[in-house]
Amino acid sequence: MNSITAYCHIKDNVCSVNGEIFLQKNEESADSWFKQLYKELALEYPKFYKMDMLSQAGFLGSELIKKTNPGLLTDYADDEIALLFANSESSADTDIRFRESYLEKKTPSPSLFVYTLPNIVLGEIAIRNKWFGENMFAVLPKFTPDFFIQYGSVLLNTGSKAVLAGWLGILEGRVEVFMFLVETENKNGYPFDAENIRKYAGF
Amino acid sequence: MIFIGAEEIISPLGQNIEENFQAVCENRSGISLIPHAGFNDDSMHLSKITAISDRNKFEMLLINILEKVLKQIDPEIALSKKTITIVSSTKGDLDRNISSPFTDSINAFARHFQLANEPVVVSNACISGVLAINVAGNFIKAGMYDHAIVLGCDLISNFVLFGFQSLFAVSNAPCAPFDADRNGITLGEGCSAVVLSNSKEIFKKTAFQLYTGTSANDANHISGPSRTGEGLFRSVKKTLEQNHISGNEIDFISAHGTATVFNDEMEAIAFDRLEINEKPLNSLKGYFGHTLGAAGVIETAISMQMMRNNLLVKSLGFKESGTSKTLNIATENKSSELNTILKTASGFGGCNASLVIRKL
Repeated sequence: MNSITAYCHIKDNVCSVNGEIFLQKNEESADSWFKQLYKELALEYPKFYKMDMLSQAGFLGSELIKKTNPGLLTDYADDEIALLFANSESSADTDIRFRESYLEKKTPSPSLFVYTLPNIVLGEIAIRNKWFGENMFAVLPKFTPDFFIQYGSVLLNTGSKAVLAGWLGILEGRVEVFMFLVETENKNGYPFDAENIRKYAGF
Repeated sequence: MIFIGAEEIISPLGQNIEENFQAVCENRSGISLIPHAGFNDDSMHLSKITAISDRNKFEMLLINILEKVLKQIDPEIALSKKTITIVSSTKGDLDRNISSPFTDSINAFARHFQLANEPVVVSNACISGVLAINVAGNFIKAGMYDHAIVLGCDLISNFVLFGFQSLFAVSNAPCAPFDADRNGITLGEGCSAVVLSNSKEIFKKTAFQLYTGTSANDANHISGPSRTGEGLFRSVKKTLEQNHISGNEIDFISAHGTATVFNDEMEAIAFDRLEINEKPLNSLKGYFGHTLGAAGVIETAISMQMMRNNLLVKSLGFKESGTSKTLNIATENKSSELNTILKTASGFGGCNASLVIRKL
């Protein structure tokens, strides 16, 4: 049976893992909210600072899931974990900044341009973990549990043994991130169905 | 079994599949020099559709192409609850609404045809088209839908052109995939469609069999191709293994071939590792430019036309081998029995995808 074995949320000022608060944003801090999370996770991964917010969000979510479920790193071959992500804004947060670079600053920025595709976050997570599995980024009008059930099930029937899935809502400072892990062989989870996705997403 | 057919294309080379394939057979290119198009007001080689005005072009292309497709299938299919529509695109209509580049166009398109299910947009860089066809096939295989309409569409915008210029990735001449003198991409715009079904009866012309394939990440770099072709190698290997097809059964490879130095080299290495580098191969970017999210659908559609006509079409722009591993690139059009073709794609974010199509 396919089970949801871990999940996490990152919102505008609070981050939680499996429903328990992991960190609340310190409004006094000079660090950005995502940098606060990065520091709390005590990671050594300088590439984080080069990423745009969409990639940072997916990266942080994947690290939080790994932290609560370390088996993700040990129980699977390097091509058995599929990445299935979606949102409704595509890469608009960075698209707006790239457009400013050529319209207002008169110099199109190559370092912004490479983040103007929503699937770049999948690449960042794949690079970090050396995962060679399936990739899919979809743009949907709104959060749709059925989409994750349908395509998640397809992935688990076509060779993938786990799916790291997520909704990455990032636009102009708004943060609405929900990530979850679906596994086939781990029984300690909640049934992978639309009702549970809706319940744990909380949207 | 999954059937695929009803292929259509709108591009600078023509308003329908017949005109497009005729142009390709005549080795004509849609690429021309467009004055004042570049960031510094420079002239740029582009494959740009001029027959449709720029206002709501993305939406108009989607509507136009589906109208053409419906003439090739049982038109009731479009309205069925058992049909899913999948749109593959990288940037949608970002000039219309940069914060939500798909919503307005896709909603208007879905309303126009009264589609029963909300379309899904696959936005996975330059593998979007191949990935969307695989996603559609997998939905049908899993019994979630009976039919799928896959539409690939991307437009040329200042946004995308200036971006590729900033990366120094744009060719100063029409792109020359796999050629020794290649030096970058030529952007193109286009729209293409294919229909998938669990029934071959819905197609007015003969359909083909689709063997859905896999995707694989390079896990190497977000904007540079892998030096070892690892992701492409893994994707094709798995696609062939899962479908019990050996490399020897492939009659033709429709490669990605963007004409950047590193991408084409990566593909040559992957095909060499797969021991299919002696199979005839082309890139269609010399005809259509790089149409990004539409490319995988356009190139699959042309591959299906090549199979219908048993005509292997030459790889436009190629003169002299320019990769470290030798490929068998089609330098002339050639009559050839084409039963099984492999289509591949690779893109930013380190993604790769592949699929196989075979004659019934």
